[in-house]
Amino acid sequence: MTELSGQGIELVIPPTPEFLQLVRAVVGAAAGLSGGASSPLDPGRVADLRLVVSEAVTNAIEAQGLIGASDRIFICCRVADDHVVVEVVDHGPGFDPDSLPELPDVETPERLHYESGLGVALMRRLSDEAVVESGPRGTTVRLTIRSS
Amino acid sequence: MQIHVHRRDLSWTTSDVDPAGVVLTVLGDLDMAGAPSLRQAVVAEVANGFRLVVLELTGVDFIDSVGLGVVVGALRRLRSHGGDLLVVCAEPRIRGVFELCDLDRVFDLHIDVETALSKRLAA
Repeated sequence: MTELSGQGIELVIPPTPEFLQLVRAVVGAAAGLSGGASSPLDPGRVADLRLVVSEAVTNAIEAQGLIGASDRIFICCRVADDHVVVEVVDHGPGFDPDSLPELPDVETPERLHYESGLGVALMRRLSDEAVVESGPRGTTVRLTIRSS
Repeated sequence: MQIHVHRRDLSWTTSDVDPAGVVLTVLGDLDMAGAPSLRQAVVAEVANGFRLVVLELTGVDFIDSVGLGVVVGALRRLRSHGGDLLVVCAEPRIRGVFELCDLDRVFDLHIDVETALSKRLAA
């Protein structure tokens, strides 16, 4: 279900991976909505936006899966003149973004034992601003992507 | 949406190439929804005795950290059986995600299957 809200869009999805592609498509398209003016993001930054949104929603789905929460995940994308802000809200158990385990160096054999743990790092690397507010009732991730 | 994984063995190549090799061509989005199909495909190939897997990602439209994780897991699985994984990835956007995570230091990202195999033979 989608709803236009000013110069942005809101989605509410079930916490299942099958909706990831839809979220990426809608958010990518919303980034092109800027009240008739040209998109604030070039195609490369729109691709970055699609990636960080995918990471945030993936984390949200995983978080809710940990506690079997079937609550829907909320995604809001707002487009400004020179940037796009995406917010992802889940009802998972929360986490401390500053105490995530550090991955071993990629060239060590131990690194091959880590198939996950890159999502938050990718969000931080590609976003101009990544804010995580997390508690026992859920997590809100707010990502800002500016034009390059 | 599910990804599609097409397979073909390497019997069409010269006998110099590891005969227990297979090419897995992935089409679609390699994310949380698509990654399990690739993981299952690699597990099946290893269980069937294949020890060289060429993972062709040129038809992948999107990859995120979950997709990267499956590729890392595939390499670990093959190496633990004395095998190896070659990655073919021509699309700059997909290569860029590997590079963002420094995984281009783990995998040589080959431009096509033939190049990947010829570099393996030359190694």
